[in-house]
Amino acid sequence: MILPCGGRAEKERTLDHLERAQDVIEKALKMGGEDVDVYIEETREIELVVRNGEMEKVRRSHSKGLGLTIIKDKRPGFSYTSNLSPEYLAEIIKKTVGFSLIADPVPWLALAEDDGRKPADLDIWDPSIAQVEEKTKIDKLKTVEKIALSSDQRIRNSEGGVYKDRETEIVVANSNGVSRKSKSSYVSFGVNVIAEEAGQMKYGSWTSAKRHFRDLDGEENVAAKAVKRAVDKLGARPVATQKKPVLIDRYAASLFWQGILWALEGERALQRTTFLADSLYKQVTAKFITLMDDPTIPRHVASVPFDGEGRTTRKNLLIEQGKLGMFLYDTTAARRAGIEGNTIARRDGYKNMPSGGFLNAVVQNGNAKLSEMIKGIDEGIYVTELRGIGTDIPSGSFSVGATGFFIDKGAVAFPVDAMTLGGNTLEILKGIEQVADDLDMRGNINSPSFKVSEMTIGGK
Amino acid sequence: MSYPLWRLRAGSALLPDQTAAADVFGPLDRLTLERLLKAALQNGGEFAEIYAEHSVRNSFILDEERISAARCGVDTGLGIRVLNAARTGYAYSENLDVEELEKTAHAASLIGRGAGGRNVSALRKKSFSSHYLVRTSPESIASKEKAALLRNANSMARSYDRRIKQVKIVYEEHIKKILIANTEGVLANDNSTQTNLGLFVSASDNGKTSSGYAFKSGALGYEHYDMKTVARLVNEAGRMAVSMLEAKDAPAGEYPVVMAKEHCGLFFHEAIGHSLEGDYALTRTSCFWDKKGSRIASEIVSLADQGVLPGSRGTINMDDEGTAGQRTILIDKGECRGFLFDRLNAELMKAASTGNGRRESFRFFPIPRMTNTYLMPGEDDPQDIVKSVSHGIYISRIIGGNVSPTTGNFVFIAPEAYLIESGKITSPLRSIQLIGRGTEVLKKITMIGPDLGSMDGGDCGKDDQSVPVSCGNPTFKVADITVGGARI
Repeated sequence: MILPCGGRAEKERTLDHLERAQDVIEKALKMGGEDVDVYIEETREIELVVRNGEMEKVRRSHSKGLGLTIIKDKRPGFSYTSNLSPEYLAEIIKKTVGFSLIADPVPWLALAEDDGRKPADLDIWDPSIAQVEEKTKIDKLKTVEKIALSSDQRIRNSEGGVYKDRETEIVVANSNGVSRKSKSSYVSFGVNVIAEEAGQMKYGSWTSAKRHFRDLDGEENVAAKAVKRAVDKLGARPVATQKKPVLIDRYAASLFWQGILWALEGERALQRTTFLADSLYKQVTAKFITLMDDPTIPRHVASVPFDGEGRTTRKNLLIEQGKLGMFLYDTTAARRAGIEGNTIARRDGYKNMPSGGFLNAVVQNGNAKLSEMIKGIDEGIYVTELRGIGTDIPSGSFSVGATGFFIDKGAVAFPVDAMTLGGNTLEILKGIEQVADDLDMRGNINSPSFKVSEMTIGGK
Repeated sequence: MSYPLWRLRAGSALLPDQTAAADVFGPLDRLTLERLLKAALQNGGEFAEIYAEHSVRNSFILDEERISAARCGVDTGLGIRVLNAARTGYAYSENLDVEELEKTAHAASLIGRGAGGRNVSALRKKSFSSHYLVRTSPESIASKEKAALLRNANSMARSYDRRIKQVKIVYEEHIKKILIANTEGVLANDNSTQTNLGLFVSASDNGKTSSGYAFKSGALGYEHYDMKTVARLVNEAGRMAVSMLEAKDAPAGEYPVVMAKEHCGLFFHEAIGHSLEGDYALTRTSCFWDKKGSRIASEIVSLADQGVLPGSRGTINMDDEGTAGQRTILIDKGECRGFLFDRLNAELMKAASTGNGRRESFRFFPIPRMTNTYLMPGEDDPQDIVKSVSHGIYISRIIGGNVSPTTGNFVFIAPEAYLIESGKITSPLRSIQLIGRGTEVLKKITMIGPDLGSMDGGDCGKDDQSVPVSCGNPTFKVADITVGGARI
């Protein structure tokens, strides 16, 4: 197949992405497709790196791409392309119809139906980002790095500050009448520093990420958090292997919840490759725990008006008062499970097909104070960072690398590193005794700090 | 670095393409390239480079007895980089119209300071010898034939043992054509083929479940994928799943550990290799930045990165800056010999590029990356290595590596491991975590076998860029390492 590289620009620009999607759907139907789904993404992005007060890197990009699913005789074909010229799209449609013949029929294969609900205005696009001067962005990085480097004499080096902003347009349309378009923005800046003392080097970083430029945290705040995360670890040492209560900090907690969210994916439930396969509607954790998927919070960085299949998003209770409420099904998985109603599909860009998964997970705030929770622990660990994969989804076995502090008689005693935390995810869930009131919405997995009655701590 | 296991969901795609490189980059003749390079220096940059890419990815997935996905994808574009001292300007376009490319050159040029007009050398074609093992291009094989291979592999895997209940098979191919031109007169192109076949099985018996996997990958033609290959993968994945059915909770604490040949090289890639990448050395954010010439490992340890290993997943004829792939000794008998460099970091550290400037695609500028990284063979008998441990752990394979190049702290998961009792490999252990500091483990390597074997391929992520790499190791012993299980 010859790739037409030149001469494509004009026609391409005369169509808006919704029209282009409709056009592709019509052509694919004419060429023998029975169900057709089109996803188009266009992004403009800039990334700036400043290190030691000097501008180091600038990367500008403008990219777009289209993902195409064509179903014929219940067989799926999928393709993607970054070339959106009409000639090229015609080739891709032909290719995809051909590919659908290679696949086997999947009886429950289905595209989303138009839910007829009007997506709410989530205020996730900041048109002013395009007007922010590049100098303002660079100054922001210079300032945050300068503050970080001068705020503590143990901060000896910087790995630089990174600024990114991005405007994205997404279109999802299919032959069932789904036709959605959204515009969003993302802006972030952060700094990475290295603390040194007694021959030890420790790394700390912090990033503020928002939908709107003016919502970004102040440079002082971001610098202080990065510095604290580096210097707090100085002098860290391993502890003995033991079983003890563990307090997991809100910013470390996402890795733990990620395992549970992955375990809730409908595809895994159907294939029984998740440790939660038999837990639906059962009490899996304490009554004071509620886990939601809520991508409808205005201006939040992980909020989206519609999901990867173009269905209007809504708030869903995944764990309600400790009881497992639902699995995360896309349309095909829901069909197979015989479920009507809520589907939640994520989509990792135009190069991938949608699949059931969470969009913005939120663990509801508790009412305990973190300081009181520390006071309540005689001997235990306060974990501030978790590393690794976490939960093994089929077995539920949980094991991670951790950094934090040893708590002795209700007070933070010394920093700890080279430590593992282990256990069984279901038992850890049941062992949650307290939830703090310190939820800080900053990503797609948001949790307050919480205390687990006992975990296995691996050390010396 | 993560293995195909962890990116199953992201499975990428392909499109058969018979187009020669010349047609792919049709509008990019020599004059156009030189004009674009000149435009990139219009604001005073010192060096400019063009990287054009045409990538085709095809993949087939068999899951629950069905070919559940047949995918293809095409990516074409061109990136322009401008260097001005330590400053990098980068811009790219997916549209290869000359007018668009001129805008791209202008966007990249903005990093310059001062007047333009620096000289652009006339482009001269540079050529490289090939280290890819491709006799039959996968593009010449019909999709139906690939689908048939997957179906046959599925039947073979299901008949391996009655306890094998689920089988998933992924075949992927990536055919990439790149063209590089820079203001120093380098003009180079490369056509590469990357293929991989992964087999994932789960077993269940008496309410217990387990999983196993195996894969083959590399810069390999389709002739490397036949039923003999499939049989080897089925045996490896099947044996793992069946033996792990009996796995017990692992202990937590410090234990002597024996790492099995071939599947534990990820340790050196993650816990050592990243800290030896030139960008971390330059910024002094690596724990090894000042260790060149110093002893950093026990004297039996030698570590190499070799871009020109025939047919491995990290193999490159040239890197993504037009420098030939090469073999670099990183650690020689315990002594740190240097770092892996791309052009920029080498220049800033007054060193030479080691042919390790790599990028995920035209959307990124190159950074120092590993290729095929391995622990060099030693002289200890692998059986003696196991016998030397009275109470410890035998690690068959590790995955999911994560490391901080600054502290050298690492975390790995061992999805297949066994207890060693009185010098014998005994009960299987449920997935466990290994944790520690690379700098310390290097000094605790006390025995190394001669059995290097083949490389394990995967994808390595750094600064949001993913590139294919491989790593390898002979059997070796670590005097003690912290293991995180659920049992004390």
